[in-house]
Amino acid sequence: MNMVQAINSTLDMKMAADDSIILLGEDIGKDGGVFRVTDGLQGKYGQQRVIDTPLTELGIVGMAIGMAVYGLKPVPEIQFQDFIYTAMDQIINQMAKMRYRTAGKITVPLVLRTPYGGGIRGGLYHSQSGESYFVHTAGLTVVTPSNPYDAKGLLSASLDLGDPVIFLEPKKLYRFQKMEVPENDYKVEIGKARKAREGDSITIITYGSMVPTVLSAVEKNGVDADVIDLMTLSPLDIGTISTSVKKTGRVMIVHEAPRTLGMGAEISAMISERMIEYLYAPILRVTGPDTPFPYRLEDHYLPDEKRIMDAVDKLLKFR
Amino acid sequence: MGKKEVEKMTEVINEQVEKEKHIRGFGAMILSRTLDKKIITAQRQGRVGFYTPTMGQEAAQIGLSMALSKDDLLYEYYRDVPMMLHRGVPLEIVLNQVFGNRDDLAKGRQMPSHLVARDYNFMSVPSPVATNLPLAVGTAFAKVYRHEPGIVVASFGDGSSSTPDFHSAMNMAAVFNLPVLFFCENNGLAISLPVEKQTKTEIWKKAEAYGMAGFKADGNNMVEMYRVAQQAVDHVRSGKGPALLEARCFRMGPHSTSDDPSKYESDIVQDGSDRDPIVVTQNALKAMGLINDQLVDKVKNESIRIVNEKFDQQEKVPPPDPETMFQDVYGNETWIIKEERGEIL
Repeated sequence: MNMVQAINSTLDMKMAADDSIILLGEDIGKDGGVFRVTDGLQGKYGQQRVIDTPLTELGIVGMAIGMAVYGLKPVPEIQFQDFIYTAMDQIINQMAKMRYRTAGKITVPLVLRTPYGGGIRGGLYHSQSGESYFVHTAGLTVVTPSNPYDAKGLLSASLDLGDPVIFLEPKKLYRFQKMEVPENDYKVEIGKARKAREGDSITIITYGSMVPTVLSAVEKNGVDADVIDLMTLSPLDIGTISTSVKKTGRVMIVHEAPRTLGMGAEISAMISERMIEYLYAPILRVTGPDTPFPYRLEDHYLPDEKRIMDAVDKLLKFR
Repeated sequence: MGKKEVEKMTEVINEQVEKEKHIRGFGAMILSRTLDKKIITAQRQGRVGFYTPTMGQEAAQIGLSMALSKDDLLYEYYRDVPMMLHRGVPLEIVLNQVFGNRDDLAKGRQMPSHLVARDYNFMSVPSPVATNLPLAVGTAFAKVYRHEPGIVVASFGDGSSSTPDFHSAMNMAAVFNLPVLFFCENNGLAISLPVEKQTKTEIWKKAEAYGMAGFKADGNNMVEMYRVAQQAVDHVRSGKGPALLEARCFRMGPHSTSDDPSKYESDIVQDGSDRDPIVVTQNALKAMGLINDQLVDKVKNESIRIVNEKFDQQEKVPPPDPETMFQDVYGNETWIIKEERGEIL
């Protein structure tokens, strides 16, 4: 199945087992969501469990928090991550801080799902990669799968975590690949990265929509690269990163989001602080530029094979 | 006893219950005022860091609280100490929070006036105003979904009526027909901005536009406030959907201890003056024959004694262990926080 089907079937499986799981969002009921991720679920579970809400992102998130603090396990959907900003007050000041401000007496077990990133010709307001905003906020867990198998396992783990999870779905990969996804419930551990490919000469750290782009570039060009798919952006899996960096001594980070204070900045700083003596070359970043996301020029915006290979060459040649 | 006699006895008992309710409410007003004055004075003496006084809003809050039951849940805001005391939150809990000491239920993490009292059905206070309102809608949904009794109350000030959270929450509560009572404590000022400059309409009238019932009450008189609050609560409890209750009251002092109201307000209601809700309520209860001067004096003296005693007692509690700063961010501590704790402590 593809990623849309994997997420849909996971929600279905979990909802069947746990009546505290409630979905809410814009057009998620009858319409099944604009990407059809929740297709058929309202028909199966009713309007009390798959709620079509008024058009208010802050309301959706705030209402979900109010459910979560009172024993339910809501899964709010924000139609496009680009629309989430009116809810940022709720996310940063309520969702992320509730456990802390009540010393654990009130907690917020919820999974906020939202599609992010480019690849669908969405222009400025249907393409953003705002992961840094969430990663910068203490109290949030941020995950992003890059294939259907991980999407199911991460979603299942997120629903069982007991704390708020920002579940970022790379919309470019929604229907990008089909793969075998087990029918049973399984978990992909939160906080653990995955080796998408083993190699010895260079470490490429990436996540979400850039995983297939990186894999295809290094395979096509015969690069002996260790490719890490982070899957969890907060908290980062420093263990997997360290092992690889110590092995290769050459590191690059690839993401769609703008470069300044993107994930690459944090990862680069962590590596510099902990293992600079293992590095043979500076840490490079291949990212989206520090501009808004353009409509017609999307292909120029997104990191591609050429930019990835330019950086690989630079790193491998560095003496 | 015949049927008539039973009815008569029930009436007498009900009357007695109502009498006691009023006396208890008034007692909580006095206790709250005493505590407020104590904390404000202590703040000036440097014994307390900060406070948002509640003086002037006692009758509004307690009048509503009298109409609530123990199953009802409250999303309070930072000026709701009187209501908390009335619902049985012990002075120690309030004072520990004000001192931010080791025994504070939230480990001294928030500024004073931001209380946690989950065991008393209070859902805790964030500083950004009105952000609790959408949560109240979600919690009301959860209560209905679980077939639990009780309504959800979300309180806020007049300034909050301008926020998107107010709009979203009012709209959603009405669309989903949920048992939420939106309780606006209109004290006429949002820090320095008078309510006339906050909004062009009377706040309770906004209810109609959202498709819910609106109520306006004299929040300066506990007896009158209770009467109207009971109507609003009954409406929400009956399943007719949410309601907006606006209580007109005063802020008899600064927004917070860091604020100087003389810069923007020339007509601050004075403690003990004719417009002071304690004086108004006291006169009403006297006219009803429920209290007399002797009783009032007794309650005032006892309040002072208790507040002083508890204040001195809780002031001695040491601050929280620095270690606690790193707790409760996540259910499972992350390696990052663990490492940072090691670096700092």
